[in-house]
Amino acid sequence: MIRFEKVTKTYPGTSAPALDQVSVDVEKGEFVFLVGSSGSGKSTALRLILREARPTSGRLIVAGKEINRLAGWKVPRLRRQIGTVFQDFRLLQSKNVAENVAFALEVTRHSPREVKRLVPQTLELVGLADKAQRMPDELSGGEQQRVAVARAYVGRPMILLADEPTGNLDPTTSMDILRLLERINGTGTTVVMATHDHGLVDQVRKRVVELDHGRVVRDVARGTYLHQGQD
Amino acid sequence: MRYVFTNLGQGLRRNLTMHLAVVLTLFVSLTLVGIGTMLWQQTERVNDELGNELQVTAYLCRDKDSNPDCVDEVTEPQREAIEAAIEDNPEVASYVFEDQETAFEKTKELYPEEIDRFEGPNAIVRPQDLRASYRITLKDPRESEGILSAVRGLDGVASIQDQRELIGKITGVVDFLRLVSAVVALVLGISALLLVANTVRLAAFARRKEIRIMRLVGAGTLYIALPFLLEALVTALLGVALAGGALVATQYFFVEGWLFQFGGFPWVGWDELLLAIGVVGVTGPVVTLLPTLLLTGKYVKV
Repeated sequence: MIRFEKVTKTYPGTSAPALDQVSVDVEKGEFVFLVGSSGSGKSTALRLILREARPTSGRLIVAGKEINRLAGWKVPRLRRQIGTVFQDFRLLQSKNVAENVAFALEVTRHSPREVKRLVPQTLELVGLADKAQRMPDELSGGEQQRVAVARAYVGRPMILLADEPTGNLDPTTSMDILRLLERINGTGTTVVMATHDHGLVDQVRKRVVELDHGRVVRDVARGTYLHQGQD
Repeated sequence: MRYVFTNLGQGLRRNLTMHLAVVLTLFVSLTLVGIGTMLWQQTERVNDELGNELQVTAYLCRDKDSNPDCVDEVTEPQREAIEAAIEDNPEVASYVFEDQETAFEKTKELYPEEIDRFEGPNAIVRPQDLRASYRITLKDPRESEGILSAVRGLDGVASIQDQRELIGKITGVVDFLRLVSAVVALVLGISALLLVANTVRLAAFARRKEIRIMRLVGAGTLYIALPFLLEALVTALLGVALAGGALVATQYFFVEGWLFQFGGFPWVGWDELLLAIGVVGVTGPVVTLLPTLLLTGKYVKV
């Protein structure tokens, strides 16, 4: 589903690459934690997958498309197959919960019938069916992140990218969000989650890819946040 | 499309003062563009309709002529030489010789109430007081230099009158007004372009969160740009409508209500007004859509 083949990304004006000869293969339906300290290259990896930036060298294939060769006008179609969740939720404050979720469908030209069908279904999945008419500022942090997850998933993407989705949440709420992502993963959606959250990674024991200074220093199935001899 | 139209309304309300500035600037500049177009057509119309009737007249010397270019009445060989010069000139379409008797009759007809000056015992004007002349019609009334230089100075020619010089004074004024309106319209057009650019920048900033989300969820560039383009189109159409109204008012109250009293002159009419409105109708959207397209390409690029 996502294949990095010796991918290097160097930003203009910097000498050290943000990603350095990264090779990682993520299969369809996998759940992968991307861990590493700040500046290790996690966000760059997600930006490359979203084609917000292009690799400087190497090959990156996402949902069967080679990112380096993807024409600009085909980028929106790629992004419709990728849902994205961020630490800061990025909800539109002027729209209520249902409208925020529907927004992702409306601007990608889904029919009103599909919007009517998919939005309540997705709100049900994230446990916010009873808060559809609430405004974002009337929700807790965890609930706001659920709305963001609903918005990312409402178009039924093949891949869901989560960039520090629990960074602003308490441990219990973080675990709720992780369970939600696991449930989405259970529907066959590939999930890549960049995180700093030791507790979460250690509790669920999924595949862990660790980046350090742009290099993959660890890639283990059922791993923990920190390297333990047995990995 | 619901999103696009909801955003169009929001965008117009959010930047109301900016949009009003754009509409008013467009209104004035487009009105000037329209007036310029009508002035241009006015010149064309004068040249087309009067130009073909314009003649070059070579007046010949008469008996005891006081004109310093004349020694005496034109002689037959001199007249033949003048006629040959006219005949040989490639610019000449046709010519008519008008003798003194015909000139006398025509002049008499021009002043019917003063007929006693031409006939009867008190007559003071006689045929020999008038000049015989060659009335020359040109193939192209704008090309009169050749015939003027060919005939001017020939023995027996008293003077030459080019009717185009009279028309030239009128078209000169019109041309000057046209130039002034073009310059002012250009300056205001640039102001409108800059105002539109600024409006797009403000709107893109106000919608930056939405645009960011739209890009992430896979909305196409054109779709993201559509509310901006529609806003530009709406302001353009308002500007065009106001300018069109001003042009219709100018035609109705100024040209037909006032200028038409100076009859016998081919003033611009409703056909010319329609063309001017057409030019304004195309220029307005171009002025607003062009910077919007360029800038949204920059701000909303996926």
